[in-house]
Amino acid sequence: MSDEARVPLLAMRGITMRFGAVEALVDVDLEVHAHEVVALVGDNGAGKSTLAKMISGVLQPDAGIIEIDGEPVTVPTPQAAAALGVATVFQDLALCENLDVTSNLFLGRELRSRWVRDDGQMEEVARRILRSLSSRIPSVRSPLSTLSKGQRQSVAIARTLIGSPRIVVLDEPTAALSVVQTAEVLTHIEQLRNLGLAVVLISHNMTDVRAVADRIEVLRHGRNNGSLDVATSSYEEVIAAITGAPTEPRPAQHAPLRSSTTAWPA
Amino acid sequence: MSRRAGATAGSQSSLRLANRSLVVDTVKQYGGLTQVELAAATGLSAATVSTIVRELLAAGVVDIATTTRSGRRAQMVTLARRVGLAVGVQVGHRHLRIVLGDFTHEVIAEQSLPLPHEHRVDTTLDRVALLVIDLLEQMGSTLEDVVGLGIGLPAPVDTATGTISVQDIMRGWEDVHVGRIMSERLGRPVYVDNDANLGALAESTLGASADRVDSVFVRASYGTGAGIVLNRSLHRGFAGTAGEIGHLQLDPQGAICRCGSRGCLDTVVGATALIDALRSAYGSLTLRDVISRANDGDRGCAQVISDAGATIGAVIASLAVAVNPQCVVVGGELAETGELLLAPLREAVNRRLLPNRVAPMEVVLGALGTRAEALGAMLLALQSTDVPLDELDRDASAPGVLR
Repeated sequence: MSDEARVPLLAMRGITMRFGAVEALVDVDLEVHAHEVVALVGDNGAGKSTLAKMISGVLQPDAGIIEIDGEPVTVPTPQAAAALGVATVFQDLALCENLDVTSNLFLGRELRSRWVRDDGQMEEVARRILRSLSSRIPSVRSPLSTLSKGQRQSVAIARTLIGSPRIVVLDEPTAALSVVQTAEVLTHIEQLRNLGLAVVLISHNMTDVRAVADRIEVLRHGRNNGSLDVATSSYEEVIAAITGAPTEPRPAQHAPLRSSTTAWPA
Repeated sequence: MSRRAGATAGSQSSLRLANRSLVVDTVKQYGGLTQVELAAATGLSAATVSTIVRELLAAGVVDIATTTRSGRRAQMVTLARRVGLAVGVQVGHRHLRIVLGDFTHEVIAEQSLPLPHEHRVDTTLDRVALLVIDLLEQMGSTLEDVVGLGIGLPAPVDTATGTISVQDIMRGWEDVHVGRIMSERLGRPVYVDNDANLGALAESTLGASADRVDSVFVRASYGTGAGIVLNRSLHRGFAGTAGEIGHLQLDPQGAICRCGSRGCLDTVVGATALIDALRSAYGSLTLRDVISRANDGDRGCAQVISDAGATIGAVIASLAVAVNPQCVVVGGELAETGELLLAPLREAVNRRLLPNRVAPMEVVLGALGTRAEALGAMLLALQSTDVPLDELDRDASAPGVLR
C-alpha cells in the first residue's frame, strides 16, 4: 500500500506481553493513520483488548515500542494517554447512571468559569458534540438511566471527543445493540473518521467491521495473523485469518500458517 | 433558556410560528419524544411546548400517547399519520437507507446504516427487516400500519418477480427473490426496483423534474445508472434494463467489466476506476473520501470528478438524442460535489446534443440529494397501493402479496 511515506499517527512495534505462562501478545505490530479506521479482530483471548489497554495506558507492554507521530512515547497511565490525545471507550462504557448526559461527558474534566462549574458552557459543548456525531439524544439533561443502550454508547463515544483527541479506541461498541442502535454507532464511527481521527475498532461482528473499517488487523493467539484491506479482501479471507484456516494464496495478502512471528506486509 | 428560538426575532405571531415549526421539526428529527424531552430539545419552556402541542394536536399535525419515562407518566408526541405508512429502502453499495413516510409524502423517520463492501444478501436483508421493525417501534407503530415497502437495488431489476435480471452485477444477489423473501418475512407487499429508476420516480414526483413530462435521472455513484421518465411514467424496458448506461461501451479497448463486456462506462467512471486513478498519489481512498476532499478544494480529487462528469456527459448526450427529454437531473453520491461534476457534464452534453432552439434541454442537480432513491422506493410503495383509504383497517390483516 502506498501510504508508507506517511508517518502513522500511532505505531506499535514488537509489542510483547506475558501473564506468567500466558502469552497475551507476542511481537505484535500495529499502525494507525489519521483519517483511518483500523479494526482489530480475533477470537476470544487473541489479545485485542490487551493491545487496546496498552494504547490507553491501562497496561504496559513487557517489550516493544509505542510511537505517536513517529516519536517513541511511554503511556504509563490513562491520564498520560489522554495527554497524548488518546481516548478510549471500554466495553462497560464507564458512565454514571445517576448523572445527566452533560455531566457524564465532562466527568472529571468539568469546565469552570472562575471558581464555579460552568454548566451553560458545558451544555453548549455537549450539544455541539452530539450534533457533530449526528446523534439522536433528545436532551443533554436526560439522566443516563433514561437512555437506551445505543444512546449510552453514543454518549460514551461523544465523551471521547471532549478534549479533542486524535486517536479513539472503541472496544466492542456494537455488542448487544439493536440494529437501529448499531446503525447509529456505525454512523458515529464514520463521523469520527471524517473528523480526521484515527480510530481503532475492536469487534466480533464482521459485518460491522467490514462496513466501517479501512483495514482489518487480525490477531491470533497474541500474534499478528493478517492485515487485510477491506476494499479488496473478502469475508472468507478475514474469517480464515481469524480461525487459522488455510486459504488460497493471494499475493501480498497471505503468509504461511503457523507463522509465529510473521509481521504482515503493511 | 431560549437557545435556538432566539434566531427568529420579530412579532409575537411570527415567534409563535417559528416555535411551532421548531417543535414540528424536532418531533420529525427524533421520531417521537415526550413533552419534557421536547422542551429540553427545543429549548422552549414546558408551558410553551404544552400549548404548542395542544394546538398541533387540534390541527391534526401530531398525535399524543401516554407512556412512561423514569417511572412517571409522560405524553409521547409523534407526527400524526394520515392513513397508512410506506417504507422506502435503498440498498446501496456501501449504505442502506430507510425512510418511513405517509400518503402526504411526508418523511416521518429515517435511518441509514453503513454496509460492507460486497455485502451479503442474507445479512443485509435481515438488517433491512430488523431496521424497519425498530424504526416503526420508535414511532409507536407496527407493521400493521404499513401499506407496503419499496426496495431499490443497484442493479437492473425484473419488477414482476422482484429479482435482479442480469448476472454478475451484484454477486450473490442474482438468484434471490428479494421481493418474495421480504414480503414473507414482514407480511406486507414488497415492490423491488432499480435504484436509478426510483431516483427518477422521486425527482419527477417531488424533485427537480416535477413539472416535466419527459426527463432522465442520472445516478452517478459507485456505478452509473439512469432512470427514464416518458410521458410522466417510468420506462423500465422489457426486463428492467432500460437506462443501464453504466454498461454502455465507451472504450472498445478498455478493461473487462464485471458484466463480462469490455470498456463499459462503469470501468471508466465507477468508484474503483476513480479510486485507482488516485491511488499512486493518495494511497487508498474511499469514494466518500474522494467526494469530501474534492469539496474541500483538493485539486486531484476534483480533477477526477470533473473528468468523470465529462465522460458521463458524453454518454448522456447519446441517451438524450435517443429519448429527447426536457431535462436531465443528476443525482447519486458524486452529485454531492455540485458544479464540479455538473459543469463538465453539462458542457459535454451540450457539445454533442442536437441544438434545439425551441426548447433547449436543461441539465440540473437533483433536488432530493442522496435521499432520492429511498424516497422513490417509498413513492413506489405508495403508488402501488390502490387500497381505498377507508378500507385500510379492514385489509390490514390480509396476507402479504407480491404484486
